[in-house]
Parts: sequence; C-alpha cells; structure tokens
Amino acid sequence: MVLEPELVQRVLRVALGTGGRLAEVFAEDRTTTSLRLDDGRVEEVVAGRDRGAGVRVFHGDTQAYAHTNRMDEAALVRAAEAAASAAGTRTGSVRVVDLAGASSTGDVPDPITHPVPEPADGVARDRKVAWLREADDAARAVAPTVRQVAVAYFDTRQRVLIADSDGSWVEEDRPRIRLFVSVVAGRDGVMQTGSHGPASMGGTELFQRHPPAATAERAARQAVTMLDGIPAPAAEMAVVIGPGGGGVLFHEACGHGLEADHIQKDASVFAGRLGDRLASPLVNGVDDGTVPGAWGSLAVDDEGAPTHRTVLFEEGVLVSYLYDRLRAEHDGVPTTGNGRRQSHAHLPIPRMTNSYILAGDADPEGVIADTPRGLYARTLGGGQVNPANGDFVFGVAEGYLIEDGRITSPVRGANLIGNGPAILAAIDAVATDFETWDGVCGKEGQGVPVGAGSPTIRIARMTVGGTDA
Amino acid sequence: MRERPAGSGRPDLPELCAVAMAEAAGGEAVEAFAQEDTHVQVRARAGEVESLSFSESRGVGVRVIVDERLGYAYAADPEPAEVAELVRVAREGARFAEPDPGNVLVRIGPADPIAGLFDEAQATVTTDRKVAVALELERLATSRRPEVRKVESVGYGDARSRVAMASTAMDGGSVEFSRTDCWASATCLAEGEGQTESGWSFGLARGLAGLDVAAVADEAADRAARLLGGRKPASARLPVVLDPAAAAAFLSVLSGALSAEAVQKGRSPLATLVGQAVGSDAVTLVDDGRLEGAPATAPFDGEGVATGRTTLVEGGVLRGFLHNAYTAARAGAGSTGNAGRGSYRSVPGVAPTNLHLSPSDQDAEALLRRAGRAVYVQDVSGLHSGASSISGVFSVGATGLRVEGGALGAPLREMTIASTLLDVLGAIVAVASDLRFFPFGAGLGAPTVLVGEMTVGGT
Repeated sequence: MVLEPELVQRVLRVALGTGGRLAEVFAEDRTTTSLRLDDGRVEEVVAGRDRGAGVRVFHGDTQAYAHTNRMDEAALVRAAEAAASAAGTRTGSVRVVDLAGASSTGDVPDPITHPVPEPADGVARDRKVAWLREADDAARAVAPTVRQVAVAYFDTRQRVLIADSDGSWVEEDRPRIRLFVSVVAGRDGVMQTGSHGPASMGGTELFQRHPPAATAERAARQAVTMLDGIPAPAAEMAVVIGPGGGGVLFHEACGHGLEADHIQKDASVFAGRLGDRLASPLVNGVDDGTVPGAWGSLAVDDEGAPTHRTVLFEEGVLVSYLYDRLRAEHDGVPTTGNGRRQSHAHLPIPRMTNSYILAGDADPEGVIADTPRGLYARTLGGGQVNPANGDFVFGVAEGYLIEDGRITSPVRGANLIGNGPAILAAIDAVATDFETWDGVCGKEGQGVPVGAGSPTIRIARMTVGGTDA
Repeated sequence: MRERPAGSGRPDLPELCAVAMAEAAGGEAVEAFAQEDTHVQVRARAGEVESLSFSESRGVGVRVIVDERLGYAYAADPEPAEVAELVRVAREGARFAEPDPGNVLVRIGPADPIAGLFDEAQATVTTDRKVAVALELERLATSRRPEVRKVESVGYGDARSRVAMASTAMDGGSVEFSRTDCWASATCLAEGEGQTESGWSFGLARGLAGLDVAAVADEAADRAARLLGGRKPASARLPVVLDPAAAAAFLSVLSGALSAEAVQKGRSPLATLVGQAVGSDAVTLVDDGRLEGAPATAPFDGEGVATGRTTLVEGGVLRGFLHNAYTAARAGAGSTGNAGRGSYRSVPGVAPTNLHLSPSDQDAEALLRRAGRAVYVQDVSGLHSGASSISGVFSVGATGLRVEGGALGAPLREMTIASTLLDVLGAIVAVASDLRFFPFGAGLGAPTVLVGEMTVGGT
C-alpha cells in the first residue's frame, strides 16, 4: 500500500478545510531499472526509486495543487494546507471523508494489477544484458555500413493510489517495459539514422512479440536504406502513410484538438463541431485505454476513473472529445478516463491513451498501385500540432517516392505539413493492414506513454517539405 | 500561504552526500549529487486563476565506479540509511556494466560563486503577489489588441533550487550552490479573417523585480495578431530570416553535433572538421555557463567542474567541442564544464550551457533591409522529428511573414523550411545585434539571422 487509509483521510480533511468542493490525493511509488548499451559497451546500469504525493483541491473551476516527494504525515498535511489555502479563504465546515468502505471496516479495495507471465522487475540483470547484446549484434549484422548502435532498455513499476473526498479509493500496479534501438549508418561522409522501440504495459512477453533482434534489424534497415536516399521534394502531392504511421498522424492532426481542455478554452479547431462530418467517411477513429498489454493502456486514469474505448470519429462524423474529471464536470458529461499525469509532480490534463484509425477495406498494395505520383511515408517520426488552428507537422523517418504506382527511390529529409480537419477530409483510402506504434507524447511539459495505430492510409494531397524545390 | 524550504526537518544535502562518501570502499570512486527545489506555478485564464501549484522535491543520485565500470542509483527524498543503500545498489549495478577508461571522477575544487544567482528578495514574495502577476499578465495579453481576446495559456512560475555534491575525488567536504528563477509566459490567440493564430512570448529573471510582464504580453499578442490572414507560399528557394527564437531552435539541433560524446561515438557530422570552416565568417558560437542573467548559468556543472566560456566556432572555423569528464578522459582533453544532468535521476551527459550565436552591431531592421525579399520565420515546429544532429537534416514546419522591400509584409502559414545544418551555417549572411536567450534545453541564445538560401515548401 502506497499510503495508509487513515492518513489519506486526515490529509483530505485538511485539504477541504477552506471550503473546497472536492479534494484528491494522488500518491505513487515507482521503481525503475535501466540499462544502456552504446558504442558496443554496456555503459550504464541504473536503479532508481521515486515516490511522492500530490493533493488537489477543486474550488469552482480553479484547481489548487501541492505536491511533495516526502511521504511522511507532516509533509502531506503541509501539502494539503497549501492546496487548501490556495483554493479558498472561507472557513468551511469540517467534512467527514469516507473512503470506500474504510470508515466501517478499515478495508480498502485491493490494488488493480496487470498479471503478466514474467514481470520484468524480477529478471536477473545478466538476462537484460543479453537482450542488449542480441540487439547490438543483430543491428551490426544488417550491413557493413552500420556504424553505431545504441540500445536502451528499461522496465518500471508504478504503483499509484488515487483517493478523493467523495470516497473513491483506487490503487493500480502498472508494469511497463521498453527496448529502444537507435542506429547510425554511414557511407562516403553521409550519415543516416534509424530507430525502433516497441513497448508494453506488461512484462517480458513483449520480447516474444518483438524480439530484440527484430527491433534492431528494423532500425538498422531504416538507417541503411536512407543512405541511398535522394533529397525529398518540396511540393503538394498524394501521400501514402504506412501501417502504424497513420495513427501518429491521427494523434497529431486531430487527437490533441479533441482534448477537452483545448475545447473548453475555445482553443481548438474542433470546438463546437460534435456531430459534424469533418473527416472522410472512410475514417473510424478511437482512443482506447483498455487494449490489453498496449503501451498507452491503463486500468484507471490518473484520477482513478476507469479507462474506456472512446469512439472519436464514426464514418467521418465527430462523436466525442477526450475528458478528464474537471473538464467533464464543466460540460456535465462523464469523464472518458483520459485524465493523465506524468507523475505526482504534475496536474492531470486530458491526454490520449492508444489512438487508432481502424482498419478499412482497401488492399495496401492496391493503394500504392493506384497512386501515380506521391510520397510513401513508411515510418513517421513524431510530430507537433497547434491545436488552436489544427496546423500540424511531422517528420518522415523512412520515406520513398511513388512513381507510376510503384515505390521507387528512398528520400531524405521529408517533412509533412497540413491542417487537421483538411487532412482528415482528404483521406481517400484506408487499408486492412493495421499496426501499432509506441511513443511518448509531450504536452505542457509532461511526457506520458501513448500508443498509436492505423493501417496504410492515403491522403489525396498534402504538402511535403523537402529541400528539392 | 506557506512555502517552507523543501529540506526543513530533514537531513541537510551535504549530510546526505557525506553518508555516501563514508560508504565508499577502497579502490572505488563514489560521487553523490543531491538536489532540492521548491516551485510555485500560477496559470490564469478569463480573469480567473486556472490552477495554482506548489511543489517541493529532493533526491540523491549516486555514481559508483569500480574497475572502470559504472553503476548508478537514485532515490527521491532518501533517509541517510537509504543513501548508504544507494551506494550498494550502484556498486551491484556496476558489475553488469563493461569497463570503459572514460569512467573517471574529476577532482572537484572550489568554483567561484556567481553574483546574483540567488535573489534574496524573491524568497519573500508572497503567493498573493504571484497570483496577481499572473492575472495582470492575462489581462494585459487580452487587452492590447482587438484581435486578441483570449489566451491558450498564461502563467507565472518560480523556483528556488539548491545542489550539493561530494566525491571521493575531492579533499572531503562538499560543494554547493543555490539559485532562484522566475518566469512569465503567454501564448495568445488572435482571431480574424476566419483564422486563429497563436503567438508566444517568455520572460525570465532571477526575481520578480526583473520580470517585464507588459513586454511579454505585448510580444505574445503582436506575434499572434500579425499572423492573421496568413497564406501558404509557393515552394521555392529563397533567403530566410530566422527571428531569435527560430534561430535558437536551430541551435538546439546543432548543439547535439557539438557534443564530444556525439563526436566520439560517430554521431556528429562535425567530427572531423576541427580547424576547418563549417560556417560563414558571420558565425561565432560560444558556450558560457557563467553568463550573468542567462538561463543555464551555474558555478559548476553536473559533476562539480567549474563552468566556463568555450568558443566552439570562431568566424566560421570549428575550434572544438563540449566536454564532460568522460569525453575529456577519452579524448585526452580537459572538461569544459559541460556535464549536463537533468536531475538527480540522471547519469551526467554532455549539455550546452547558454550556447549562443554571437551578435553583431547591426540591428534587426538593418538585417531585413539587407534581405530585401525573403521569408521571415517566427516559429518552427516539429524539430524533434524533422531535424537531426546526426544526419544533419533540418526540415521543419514554420510560420512567419514575407519580407518585401526590406520590411515585414504579409503573413505566411503552413509552410516548411528545409536545408542541412552545414548548409545553413555556410549560408548565414549576417546576424543582428538582438541576442536573446530562450529556455530551450538548459538555455540557448541567438540574435536575428539572415540565411542566404533555404527551401521553403508550400504549394
């Protein structure tokens, strides 16, 4: 147990002392092991433990938050006092705080766990070293032009407790694991990079789905292939995005704009557009925090609400926004379970979990064959969006020209730029070959694990920014 | 309102460092890095406080080197006994790492303090005053121009932080410093002509007295409003003027290639070019961890080495790279005091400190007149995916304005600018006098820059 129920009750009572309408405690205890191989050597072995708690008080639409990484009663009470004093000055009547059954029986619900065949935190270090070696060897075996390989591995267990003055008490034990391989290939003074980093909410079964060698080979092939790249064009053209990558586009082009904080600030191009057909009728999009084992999955969000499969677009029609507790209360709707925070040191805000464009009917090879001229973006790097107007950009990590319906030369330095609603409307093919992509999404300085997914999709026309004008 | 120091009632940071030193076994090099800070952040919107956060945190990270093998362990707010345990855990981890002659601890000596780094007056500023500053910033930001009536975010924040370090490579005791920072930021939304555009500004100072809130409000509002009505340009190769924020964003990519670690591990396109021209003669790049008032200023770096001034590129000629103790040992050079450390959780890497492009004495207006017809870039996006310090690709999204007849003209949106790091450096025609620092990474600075040619992508 991260904190004792009696202590949490006392802290919540203090937090409500100035008349706040709701108080919440978020506490976490996180252990992390990370290893890094670079330049052929296992160079870092790191073990860490982080813990801390934050007390939040709601006072109207204002949130006051105080957090500490000290877990003793004095520090927690002081945090509660700070949050309370910021939330209001009125002396409220003393409110009794009952936590889910704790007042009568002293019991609280058991933590939610994610049972995995083999939790990573129990695995001996020499096996973890062997995964690094396997990846390094596999990447270097791809081609003599592979110059440098870095392999980063980590596993973490985050135990969270979220309790509030309405009596909710939820604990979740979240195991996560990731292996990330970065490769540099070089030839004749040209250097190109490739990377791949599958990840999971789970344990070592990740490596049955994604063996370290396979991850390394994909990263190395990308780098080696790009050595033959020609400068990317700068022009408007059809763009086919490979499986998985369309999910990254969906995340940037519209996912952020659907987060209810942007909507309520009227700082989103999607504000006031529920029920409108904004995307092509081929687009069915969801945010799904319940996918077993997926990197962006959680049983409950960081406000203790169960995660959901939330339909965002149904045949192109905008169906829902993504809510956390504060914004859901403001709109008088249930939260969608998207209130997430990087750690106890951050206020929760609406965030995506796993955002997917669902598979369609088109044959992926047919989509390419049907494209006379365009760009094939096999793998996308991350992207960035301005939610206020929907303008977004992302880099193409592995891209090729499409000429006469065939994938031809690899291209370097391609960048895609567009406007969210316009691009969603311009999707004219959605194929059957769904894949996922794992990443870390940054918003307001907070990084959280997110999944993205899609089949091959085509955008009829968008701007490719390269150096070849 | 309460704001007590994070450490009250707890073992002091040097005391925790001493526990780690006492736990060191013979033949081991042990280093302890202890950190504590308190933050206050206020966000305002529509005349109200949107959120108010207080935080306190402390932690210790311990590096143990045994037979050239490195282990690391950290913990949030450890008791003394837990610090001793960190040494044992790091020692255990070191068994699984491989020996590397670069794993050394440098001798830590006293570093000269930096005047004004800790603003005593800031410690007495009340929370009410901070709330008032955030509300005033929001009021100003939404009342200066008719097109700007709302903000995406407006905030005031401050931090008080302290670092203490000890190492078996020093003669007992510990070194430490404290600093204060406060900042104001605004992202305004301008609406009109069927468009919404955003504009950002940021002010940073040691204390509230040094913050010019009105200037932040004006700049954010102006930058949003002047983009309204923007159109996508035709794709072409054109001269490009990077405003200081866009130029600093370019430097954030380039800085990766100036790290000796990238050089040693085959990840820098500059690796073999020391002594050669890597840019035009207008390019002088300096890293200065002691620059008063700049964001990354500190008396010593993440492994206790005194910070300093390093000229990396002089008149276009590459002079050297940024080093920490590891890269210095591998290169047979001296550390430049650039061991970067995100927090007590991280093993020191190499990081720039106030890396900046040296300004000239001509103002930005003169630079625009010289440009004649060009694209002026005020914001870039997608840096983390569209630019690489390894391949040298620089291909990012941009917003800005046309430059016509030597002056700013019609707004532009949804465009890209693309080149390579070396091509941009080589094509820099001139830099202006308006050097500004930004909180990108630990802190980077640039003036307005005229680049002779880049590819602008649009229709």
